[in-house]
Amino acid sequence: MNKAASIIIALGLVLGIGILLVGNSRNNAGLGLDQAGQNVEVRDGFQYITIGAKGGYYPKVSTAKAGIPTKLIIKTNGTYDCSAALVIRSIGFQKVLSQTGEEVIDVGTPVAGTPLRGTCSMGMYNFLINFD
Amino acid sequence: MKTYTFHVSGTHCPSCKIFIEDTLNSEDSIQSARVDLKQETVEVETSSEESAEKLAQVLTESIHSHGYTLSVEKVAIEKGGSDVIWKALPIGLLLLALFFSLQKSGILNLGIGSETTPATSFIIGLIASVSSCLAIVGGLVLSLSAKVSEDKVSDTKTFLLFHTGRVLSFALLGGVLGALGGAIGINFTLTAILGLVASLVMLLLGLNLVGVFAKNKIALPSGIFRFFRKVEHRTLTPLILGFATFFLPCGFTQSMQVSALGSGSFVSGMLIMFAFALGTLPMLLLLSFGSASFAHGRHAPLFFKSAGVVVIGLGLFALLGGLAGLGIINPLFNI
Repeated sequence: MNKAASIIIALGLVLGIGILLVGNSRNNAGLGLDQAGQNVEVRDGFQYITIGAKGGYYPKVSTAKAGIPTKLIIKTNGTYDCSAALVIRSIGFQKVLSQTGEEVIDVGTPVAGTPLRGTCSMGMYNFLINFD
Repeated sequence: MKTYTFHVSGTHCPSCKIFIEDTLNSEDSIQSARVDLKQETVEVETSSEESAEKLAQVLTESIHSHGYTLSVEKVAIEKGGSDVIWKALPIGLLLLALFFSLQKSGILNLGIGSETTPATSFIIGLIASVSSCLAIVGGLVLSLSAKVSEDKVSDTKTFLLFHTGRVLSFALLGGVLGALGGAIGINFTLTAILGLVASLVMLLLGLNLVGVFAKNKIALPSGIFRFFRKVEHRTLTPLILGFATFFLPCGFTQSMQVSALGSGSFVSGMLIMFAFALGTLPMLLLLSFGSASFAHGRHAPLFFKSAGVVVIGLGLFALLGGLAGLGIINPLFNI
């Protein structure tokens, strides 16, 4: 194969892989949590943030209020992939979630400007919650 | 008494020089042997009346099992090698693109019943073996298989030992998890660190397969190569490696381990992990024996270099993911 052609094809493929890896994910099936902004709710003095976990975390980026005691609800539904193995370093949380169910995690009272980031154990799925 | 100079391939470390000289000197017909690492030649003084070609062939037999070959002419693979990489690069990248597209497509997130039985864990194993877990476990299997085949070690035996070790360890450790119940948890940080080690091994082997080390003679600590050479010949090594894959980071494996933990008995935990390991087996067998058959075929150089590109890509993916999982860097991708 021609060297120049090969380099061009290779660059194109690298670009494609980059877009695949960094680009936005498809919508999550079945958990109904695709819409950012609709997953935060204040009830009885607690702020609840719901994140779906199956083949990734949904929504990927959420925004919630700082200064309110906050709990995170992670919903799984037949989740066997990496997103079941959740790590939230900043609060020292790591657990393999049950395949179907809800995990309620107390994240304390968040401070404005300090986001909360969760990843799966292999690091290829992640979610981010900004507090303001 | 005659003096011949042969070209020797497969030398990459000072210890190779000593080894080849020692081995050749112990041959009856050889008075003295001296290796020139830079020129990749060996000069032998011999009382043998054989022709140079015949002598090279005879001497090769005694050092071939360690990966070295003597020849009268400089082996032409090196020359062809630089062209092959330009074919291998797009092929390897295309395979990577297909792999990541498959992950992105969401096909692999199909619903499986919420109860874990040996039957569902078998299916989950099948899915896991083509999922992102393939990046670590499959990448490692591919790189090791290609390396083993390249070094012409008895590969079938090595592969069988590796896969047997893997399936048996999964069954055994699954049983242990079932029997212990919730008493132990598998530490995330430990698996993440193992994942980093695995990804570094993949990068190293990938670069080696592509030929970066061989061609440019980057001075890699000779100890590493000697280590690989040595461990390849051990019966126990593939068994232990198979055992170690139980602890590699893979979401599916971790889910199954938790199911085994919750299953309540040795037998049920064992069945779950055994069925899961069986499910992952077809894909991994394909990778091992596929590389072996390519490695012995006509397109071997192209295969090794393409495999190297794939392994480097998967190694990078696993490395960056592992660092993100440990919280050392921010996650870069969301596959």
